[in-house]
Amino acid sequence: MSDDDLTTLHLDQFLAHPPAKVWRALTEPDLLAQWLMPGDFRLEVGHRYTMRAIPMPATGFSGTIRAEVLAYETGRMLKIGWRDAAPGNDADWTITWTLEPEGTGTRLFLLHEGFDPDDPLQRRARSIMDGGWRSTVLRSLEAVLTSP
Amino acid sequence: MNTERVSEDRIFAALASPVRREVLRLLREEGPQPVQRLAEHFAMTRPSFSEHLRVLRETGLVTENKVGRQRLYRLEALPLNEVQQWLRPFERFWRDRLTGLRDLLDQMDDES
Repeated sequence: MSDDDLTTLHLDQFLAHPPAKVWRALTEPDLLAQWLMPGDFRLEVGHRYTMRAIPMPATGFSGTIRAEVLAYETGRMLKIGWRDAAPGNDADWTITWTLEPEGTGTRLFLLHEGFDPDDPLQRRARSIMDGGWRSTVLRSLEAVLTSP
Repeated sequence: MNTERVSEDRIFAALASPVRREVLRLLREEGPQPVQRLAEHFAMTRPSFSEHLRVLRETGLVTENKVGRQRLYRLEALPLNEVQQWLRPFERFWRDRLTGLRDLLDQMDDES
């Protein structure tokens, strides 16, 4: 989990429900609205839509996302492009969901790509810390934050 | 804004030292402990070690409490949570969302 690469974020979660049901939650707008964000999603490559979330001022995230369905494989994979709608924000992310059956449930993988390693915060951190700061600090952080 | 920046820089600077990261690890794994016991892990003079502890205290990463004649050090998780937020701003966002997804699936009908 603590990869050195700060341009991507990997997470995975076991869900005690079959992939077909998880797939519905990922692709039906009324369900998406309940756990992710409201938006006029449609399962169709090239479909563009807008989603609204809570802004994160510390990161420059405006909270409004212009999304686009980039690819999908029913029940197994869904790839969405995310751009921040705010002018001047050139965030350009790709979110990829992958579903794998695990027992009677599903392991859901999330890959969030496209973070800018040269954003001011990361540059500042790098200028202060030694070369191994990404891996060592992230490893220490995870160790500390996941302590009992 | 300015004071926030100073404190971010300080926390990053505090974490840049392998000695200070090791102190944090010891406090996490072995719980709060007196200076003397922490110092035993490091081959350095007492003033040098005290300086490392001072840096950690000033960032709020650790706190010191006097208990009898001992000075007890304790890890404080809050500043580390903030660092995590800076380095991986979306991690908590997604973890919260995935928790929401799990709850939603639990409520959904298995049929249809």
